[in-house]
Amino acid sequence: MKNRLKVLRAERDWTQAQLADALDVSRQTINAIETGKFDPSLPLAFRAARLFGMRIEEIFQDEDRGSFSSP
Amino acid sequence: MNQPKPPNGYQSRTRTNIIRLFYWNGAWGAATALMAFGPKFLWSLVFTLLAVGLDVAVGVGMILANKKYIAELDELQRKVQLNSMGITLGVALIAGVPLSVMDAYHVIPVHADIAYLLILMTLTFAVSNLYGTRRYR
Repeated sequence: MKNRLKVLRAERDWTQAQLADALDVSRQTINAIETGKFDPSLPLAFRAARLFGMRIEEIFQDEDRGSFSSP
Repeated sequence: MNQPKPPNGYQSRTRTNIIRLFYWNGAWGAATALMAFGPKFLWSLVFTLLAVGLDVAVGVGMILANKKYIAELDELQRKVQLNSMGITLGVALIAGVPLSVMDAYHVIPVHADIAYLLILMTLTFAVSNLYGTRRYR
């Protein structure tokens, strides 16, 4: 699964540690998600979406299908 | 800089849980040592049974502290811990049962002491936990 977490974080000038604090996870988890080594759960993806004020599919995309588009 | 506001401190919560777990592990180790070595030097059967009861009670506390620690980890850390536990359980079974059988049929010259299994489990957990942590770094 691809994601834009690193870009969104950089746009806001946040460190991984600050984002980790805001999402209530460890910095290692943020790093693993950003580098594509770990896919977050749905609740964590929702928390990230809420934090950035975006929809989940604007942050996370299925690598095989691209972002989900509503009919 | 526009910084996000943390809802609560994951790091400090985890640190508190690790310290709590450390104390419970230490207490269990001490209770186990009391149970194992106390009767050799001082005690009667009654004191030995009390030491066994204390060891079990502190052991339950240690399990609950461990459960709380795992439950409050984030999802990646929990995954690493659970993978390590699964590997440790598997290694303990596939090494422990044959070792016990070989001891029972005198295939090996040494007694299959439970301590060997505990050492193997500790090493397996440490290595698999280290591997899991480095894998997602």
